[in-house]
Amino acid sequence: MRDVAGRRLTFHLAGINNQNFLMRDEETGSYWQQISGTAISGPLKGAQLTLVLSDELTFKTWKAEEPAGTVLKEAQKDASEYEAKDWDVHMRTRPTVIQFPEHGMQPRDLVLGIRNPEGSRAFLYDRVIKEKLVKGYVGAQPVMIVVGPDGQSVRAFRERIPGVDAVPDFYRLTANKPGVLLMDAATGSEWNFQGCAVSGKESGTCLERTPMLKDYWFDWRNYNPKTTIWGI
Amino acid sequence: MINGMKRPNHTRWILVSLACLAISLVLVVYPLYVIRPFRAQGARELMVALTVLRFRPWLTVVSALAALAAAIAYWPTQAAMRKRMLVAASALLVCVLAVLARVNVFEALMFHPLEHPAFAAAKEVKLDSDDKLIVVRINGSARAYPIREMAYHHVVNDMVGGTALVATY
Repeated sequence: MRDVAGRRLTFHLAGINNQNFLMRDEETGSYWQQISGTAISGPLKGAQLTLVLSDELTFKTWKAEEPAGTVLKEAQKDASEYEAKDWDVHMRTRPTVIQFPEHGMQPRDLVLGIRNPEGSRAFLYDRVIKEKLVKGYVGAQPVMIVVGPDGQSVRAFRERIPGVDAVPDFYRLTANKPGVLLMDAATGSEWNFQGCAVSGKESGTCLERTPMLKDYWFDWRNYNPKTTIWGI
Repeated sequence: MINGMKRPNHTRWILVSLACLAISLVLVVYPLYVIRPFRAQGARELMVALTVLRFRPWLTVVSALAALAAAIAYWPTQAAMRKRMLVAASALLVCVLAVLARVNVFEALMFHPLEHPAFAAAKEVKLDSDDKLIVVRINGSARAYPIREMAYHHVVNDMVGGTALVATY
């Protein structure tokens, strides 16, 4: 969110810092790091933008969930400059200015990063897509990453059912039932890709969403030096 | 000496002019050198470059005014025309640098900003099924930002569900 300390800020692309970009706000002239949302220079140095929960979904999946949604239109004069599909995949061969080769990781390996006050973890994107359901911990927090029916959209949730003490033990249903993706062993409820139970004892209950960032390994590691890795 | 009186020394105006040119060049070039793609940025040099960026619009104006004052003071002297033209040209260049100091090369030359982003209903948009979007839902309003567009513009200032946000990629 761009309301900070009682002011509404307007941001501009303003630079780059080890291949993560910098923004500048018009109102105070402060410079902000994109990945962290933190002001690193200027009158608002140290201020923190509030993260808005977001997903990366395919158009087909999103349109089915949000038929009344709106989409950013192309700027006609710039349309010829727009990237090809799977831009992030095509970028994998580009060099980077910083590297963190631990655990055999390549700089532009794609990861899904989850961070909380207790720790940070990078989940290898290709493995997550292949597994379709990944469960683990970030710090002491149980998390679950789910791949949508389209095989590309991904969401993360806290792997606990609100109000239920038992470990839910989610598993993916193999039968192709429209609108149903998961079942949990604790309550026998069926869950959709939005993390809401559509049948069973917990019908109507929704799982708590977990913010997740799709990033290149070098960038995630640069800002999360103590990160662990899943999938290697 | 002229008629026993000491000849005025106008060298100081040349020095002022050169100093202003050097200062303005450093103010414009240093951030461009440090903050450029495909180059690693050290923490300290980045902070210096960002501080220069914050103050250079005004510093370059002061430098330009000083250079103009030096050129105006130097012009009516009895110095050779060549020298007077050089000082004048130097002042002009310092003024140009004061203008360039206000140019954001990342938006002016590399990635044009979306000054007035426009949006269309999901059912009207022509996207492929597998086009990837960054999506948010706030207070019942759903908004999507195609990654193909965001990978170019990088920053979109927006209002969704009554909340002011900036989408970045």
